[in-house]
Amino acid sequence: MVGEAVILAAGEGSRLRPFTEDIPKVMLPVANKPILEYVINAIRDSGIRKIIMIVGYKKESVMDYFGSGSRCGVEIEYVTQEKQLGTGHALFQARELVKGEEFIVLPGDNIIDKDVILKLMNSPTPALVVEESDIPSKYGVVEIDGDIIKNLIEKPPVARTNIVSTGIYKFDKRVFELLDELLKEGRTSLIDAILQFVQEGILYGVKGNGKWRDAVYPWDLLKMNEESLNKVPATISGKIEENVIIKGKVSIGENTIVHSGSYLVGPITIGEGCEIGPHACIFPSTSIGNNVTIYPFSEIRDSLIMDNSTIGSFSYISKSVIGRGTKISDHFSTLVRDSIIEIEGEIKKVKGAGAFIGGECNIESGVVIKGGAIIGKRAHISSNKVLSGRIENDSKVV
Amino acid sequence: MCGIIGYVGYRNARDIVLEGLKKLEYRGYDSAGIALIKNGLFLFKEVGEIKNLENEVPEISSNIGIGHTRWATHGGVNKKNAHPHVDCKGKIAIVHNGIIENFKKLREELEIKGHKFTSDTDTEVIAHLIEENYDGDIRKAVQNAIKKLKGSYAIVVITENEPAVIIGARKESPLVIGIGENENFIASDIPAFLKYTNKVKYMEDGEICEVGRNEVKIFDLDGNEVSREEKIVEWSIEEAEKGGFPHYMLKEIYEQPKSLMETMRGRIGEIEPFVDLGIGLEDIDELTLVACGTSYYAAMAGKYILEEIAGISCNVELSSEYRYFGKRKGIVLAVTQSGETADTLAALREAKRHGCETIVITNVIGSSATRIADKTILTRAGPEIGVAATKTFTTQVLTFILLALELGIKKERLSHSQAREYIASLKKLPMAVKEVLDKGEEIEKLAKMLQDNESIFFIGRGINYPVALEGALKLKEISYVHAEGFAAGELKHGPFALLTSDTPVIAIVSQDKTHEKMLGNIGEIKARNSPVIAVADENDKEIAKFADYIVRYPSLPPFVASIPITVILQLLAYHVARLKGRPIDKPRNLAKSVTVE
Repeated sequence: MVGEAVILAAGEGSRLRPFTEDIPKVMLPVANKPILEYVINAIRDSGIRKIIMIVGYKKESVMDYFGSGSRCGVEIEYVTQEKQLGTGHALFQARELVKGEEFIVLPGDNIIDKDVILKLMNSPTPALVVEESDIPSKYGVVEIDGDIIKNLIEKPPVARTNIVSTGIYKFDKRVFELLDELLKEGRTSLIDAILQFVQEGILYGVKGNGKWRDAVYPWDLLKMNEESLNKVPATISGKIEENVIIKGKVSIGENTIVHSGSYLVGPITIGEGCEIGPHACIFPSTSIGNNVTIYPFSEIRDSLIMDNSTIGSFSYISKSVIGRGTKISDHFSTLVRDSIIEIEGEIKKVKGAGAFIGGECNIESGVVIKGGAIIGKRAHISSNKVLSGRIENDSKVV
Repeated sequence: MCGIIGYVGYRNARDIVLEGLKKLEYRGYDSAGIALIKNGLFLFKEVGEIKNLENEVPEISSNIGIGHTRWATHGGVNKKNAHPHVDCKGKIAIVHNGIIENFKKLREELEIKGHKFTSDTDTEVIAHLIEENYDGDIRKAVQNAIKKLKGSYAIVVITENEPAVIIGARKESPLVIGIGENENFIASDIPAFLKYTNKVKYMEDGEICEVGRNEVKIFDLDGNEVSREEKIVEWSIEEAEKGGFPHYMLKEIYEQPKSLMETMRGRIGEIEPFVDLGIGLEDIDELTLVACGTSYYAAMAGKYILEEIAGISCNVELSSEYRYFGKRKGIVLAVTQSGETADTLAALREAKRHGCETIVITNVIGSSATRIADKTILTRAGPEIGVAATKTFTTQVLTFILLALELGIKKERLSHSQAREYIASLKKLPMAVKEVLDKGEEIEKLAKMLQDNESIFFIGRGINYPVALEGALKLKEISYVHAEGFAAGELKHGPFALLTSDTPVIAIVSQDKTHEKMLGNIGEIKARNSPVIAVADENDKEIAKFADYIVRYPSLPPFVASIPITVILQLLAYHVARLKGRPIDKPRNLAKSVTVE
């Protein structure tokens, strides 16, 4: 019986910069909950209550949010991976804490369904969850024969199948012996151990159910957000003034004030302590974090607005991600368009992209951001600028 | 100052009591003891941490027991003075928090009657007094015994003659009953039993309770039963555990963005704008602030904030002094994290007795202070376990800013746009604190530089003067390094004589009207060859010419900036203490809330 899960939550997620400048990828909010919380909840719902969490990059934000785990009804023990040397090295940190013979291992930044975890728990060991993907060459591409994985190639230029590894495994303690040997040879990736299992012909493939989600690039957060929003129940707390129209699945947190004349169409979720309106319009597939202020006469749709940010009056925001603590003044707009974006040397085509603005920026009045622009953390943009492309962290645009 | 707990129910009392004592260790930890009933009364005591006691207590499966963690007030730290104390026959066991002022006289009287004492404590007289009054009804015996006591107490009593009930009584020391199903708890503080229940009944001064497995009854001093409403505590256990952090103090430092957000939650609005603490504040021109320790420094900061923003003249007093001296007029505002600080409670009572209106700023709902004061403002920091106050201090300062803004707006001293700017900057505060927390490594480096210095000074002007005092207090209380805070302008009036090249000075520099003078002060210090570490605004360009090492904080209005500045000093104290290998969450000779005077 599997009773433990090891979650790998030590990485930064550099392709999601600037949003991972101050929090690790696992803590990025999707429908107002960190990605990691979905992972933990799925593990809990599959009956596992003990979690060993490997933390590293900005670990305090993980520990501060989840604490000992009672928020999610699990027990969490933390292990620090001081340097992010690779997934094998990360998993190896858990060797002293894993008590049972068999356990599962998951990345903390991929949303997964509890049914798949249950299926994995009941499969022979070792096993790997595989899924179909539209972009297989971003992952480890798998060739499978019956239930046994015959081949696994990491990020091949040309993928021979569309079946990919999800990085969700079931192991027994032998994996630690293997990792020990590999680490001594300076091989720090978990893949090296996996390839050993593939070679021996003992790695089972467990097929997923299509509910596995990964966010690799900033715009993936919007898709993940949209899907997760459908699962947020409609609960309205806070203070809703007269003449506010609320339609569809809308969730509003405590101590939020929605001023008169505002128009809210679900699915949307609004956190705690926000001020909205008067006369603000928030349309579907939008998440608004805690302590966000949205001034009168602004429209927001298909966007993810993180905690503590401010949106000035007469603004239009669509298909955009706004980082924590960013202040946007009045008459701001995003021009949504199909874009070509370069991230870490890769060129990506994105349909209908808005703006991706990092945390703690200060954007003055009348700024227009063209679709696909990525604005770094703490950038200062003077009034009436029209921007596109990439603006680095701490830039001053005057 | 001690922690007490009692349990009656279906679980193993040994484990529940020991577990509860661990949660109460912050209240004192020089020795501990436990009494269990299982066909007779069993007593175990040990010196040192609860762990030592745990190793000594055999596995007795009992369903009723009491325990105590001690912080000595009367009598040395040794096994015989540790609680529980028993009567001559060893049938009645008692644990006590507080001080019995007339214990010498009572002891003499009891000794004449033939009672044999085995310890030097004030508590033991209570055990013998109960024995003296016992005729088959333990509650009546306690009721008659406490009528003779002068001083403060929370006591919990069990006797093998009546092995199904726990008797509790309180006067001026905290005691709260936890209501479970087929089990009940009684303790000095909620975390002791929070794992099992979040339903509580608070006891009032002079009341006695009888706690059985299925029933809780509360009586007044004359033995009339009183009814008491059950309250739900909204803290989760998670909030009372370390969750991955090596120390509670570090966990609590990192919690500050969340606690500060909590302090402001629902109380401010930027768009309108408004600030409303929800206690119907009127126009106030003058205030007397009373507090002890870290809360006193928060009150000093409060004085600068209230005077500047709201034009309220403030008179800041130490509670321990105010209760004997000082003017009893107008409105008295007390600051106490726990709401149980004995000197502050005494000061509040004293003010009330003279007809003053009283307000308390506290973190603990339902605490004694909230029941004495006319109005309560909660800081909402959540439970704090580390002995060194961190998030409770910053939320107190923030509460003063909210108070000043509310009154400033009411008094029309602040224009709409000024108020809106202030509120917008408050909304930035949690992020600003987060930014400072991300400087952990930079501050650790500084701590390495400072760890071998025997003496460190902190200076500041305006609100940064109390912040300097608090920074020095944090450093000395957890790292045991000699640290002093001074108003920067006062250095040359004496303390200058102490400066050498081995006394680093930490200078808090604001970009306000004191900036130039502060740079002048730093120049004077440099002339004495003392290293200067500046804590400076991120936009302060001049400071680089003056300081040897600079830690930057995000630019915010002066009073608001004092909060991230405090966080820098907390982290510095933490890292120095850690490098020196100090027991950070339990510094020697200190206890969390001081419920003795």
